[in-house]
Amino acid sequence: MSLAAAKRGERHAWRLPALPRRGAVSWFEVGLLIVCVALVAFELPQNLRDVIVLTFLFGGLALAWNIAGGYAGLISFGHAAFFGIGAYTSTILFVHAGVTPWIGLWLGALLSSAVGAFLAVICARLRGPFFILSTLAAAEVVRIGALNWSSLTGGPEGLSILPVASLASMVFSSKTVYAALMLAYLVICYAVTKALEASRFGYYLAAVRDDEDAAGAAGINPLLARTGAMALSAALTGLGGSLFAQYFLYLDPTFVISPDLSFQLALLPAVGGLGTAIGPVLGSLLITPLSELLRAYLGNMAAGLHLVIYSAGLIGVMLYFPSGLAGALNRLAAGGKRKP
Amino acid sequence: MTAVLEVNQLSRAFDALWAVRNVSFRVEAGELLGLIGPNGAGKSTLYNLIAGALKPSHGDILFAGRRVTGWRAHHVARIGLARTFQIPKPYRQLSVVENVMLTAFHHERSLPRARALAETTLADVGLSEYAGAPIATLTVGLLKRLEVARALAMRPKLVLFDEIMAGLTPAEVGSMTRLVAELPSRGITVLWVEHVLHAIMKTAHRIMVLDRGEIIADGPPGTIARDPAVVRAYLGEELNLA
Repeated sequence: MSLAAAKRGERHAWRLPALPRRGAVSWFEVGLLIVCVALVAFELPQNLRDVIVLTFLFGGLALAWNIAGGYAGLISFGHAAFFGIGAYTSTILFVHAGVTPWIGLWLGALLSSAVGAFLAVICARLRGPFFILSTLAAAEVVRIGALNWSSLTGGPEGLSILPVASLASMVFSSKTVYAALMLAYLVICYAVTKALEASRFGYYLAAVRDDEDAAGAAGINPLLARTGAMALSAALTGLGGSLFAQYFLYLDPTFVISPDLSFQLALLPAVGGLGTAIGPVLGSLLITPLSELLRAYLGNMAAGLHLVIYSAGLIGVMLYFPSGLAGALNRLAAGGKRKP
Repeated sequence: MTAVLEVNQLSRAFDALWAVRNVSFRVEAGELLGLIGPNGAGKSTLYNLIAGALKPSHGDILFAGRRVTGWRAHHVARIGLARTFQIPKPYRQLSVVENVMLTAFHHERSLPRARALAETTLADVGLSEYAGAPIATLTVGLLKRLEVARALAMRPKLVLFDEIMAGLTPAEVGSMTRLVAELPSRGITVLWVEHVLHAIMKTAHRIMVLDRGEIIADGPPGTIARDPAVVRAYLGEELNLA
């Protein structure tokens, strides 16, 4: 049989595809977790440690963004606001009132969540680009507020946490501890995402995202679903903000509440695969090291060269993997199964 | 008899145009009521008003003993009103069975039981083999059946069907007609908009005719088929129902 005939035969063997069941955990995911744990456990050079800490942190943040942007269809370019609110809440409580960040980070998540819910309610009638622009504007309001409320936030001079290692102040001298902490954060965000996928509420979000009229006719309150998604997404993002503050030990509104950060949080799940659990993780595993290493090795060579290469890589991914890395991976798995 | 749905002097204007004007009717429990009329008569607007997708300009709607005028769609759905959409509105990123689960949640809060109810309902409309399939693989006829399955999985008191026969093959029309005909015996009252006349005229207990936002005739199918006003506005010629 000729190759062409064999190919035709393969096409005839095509069956009705079935979607994977929501919330199921694959061996690929288990393997990836083992690799991540190994990355924490093994001795690595300091600069790679930094990259790993940030990769895990951004993996968790991307998962958090994806709950609103991927699962509920609420594309936000303002998630840096929730990140900043989380970071500032735990840090202000610690610096001004001596509250341990172990408690402060939950309070930050709570406040972020409340702001997220509020944003969903005031943007209730906005869809598509109008919603996106509102989130961008809302984050700018938070950033300018933080810049001007100097007595609380330190304004443009920022806010520092004393670099004295202690468990109570959640400051550590070893980067391994931070890597473990960030991995724990990523795993929590992943578990929340999987639980959401397999829950009634997760289905409600998919319904509201895919067709709001049909969702309403099915008895689902679209506003309530959107508000819940924003609150959950913002809470997890705030948690990540607090962890970042404990790692970086310095906060400044122009960085932690910047539109750049908001775009980054939206970009990672978009590259990895919107509305999938594995997508944001893959996005961060690819993009965060790429951007950090390019900056480290090429940042001094020619101004902006690392950004040019970074952007070219992004364009390549979007051109060749329009449904993200997760989509490409699924096609690969499906293709593998079809072979005899 | 008790009315499941009672519509009183219902009107809705879009700017200067009255899409629905002074419409009043009752749907009795266990009835299979057909609604026909030319394109643009206001049938879909009437559905949107009853189901809460649009707010009326005037008038009253009573459903299941409650005044639901101006309620939002999800509130009316929760007290037992289901509907299909003329242009199917599936959840495109979910599988067929998951689409039906979302209405099955109305009765079954747990996922496995909702899935079971959804699978039974898919069997009723002949979609079992597509349960796990993505929406993108479905034809228009299959999407219409999915709309019906979603509505029925709610086990509603009243269902509003909107052109569920369009795009179906003659054999599919036959099996769908049998399914619709037995709904009243399952405790589901039916209001049904349809352009496939032989299906609706043979199945409905009573037919209402809407033209330019107003009801121009209301009665048993045999009378409607010969009504001069209906022939003029919609049928073109008398229907032979034999």
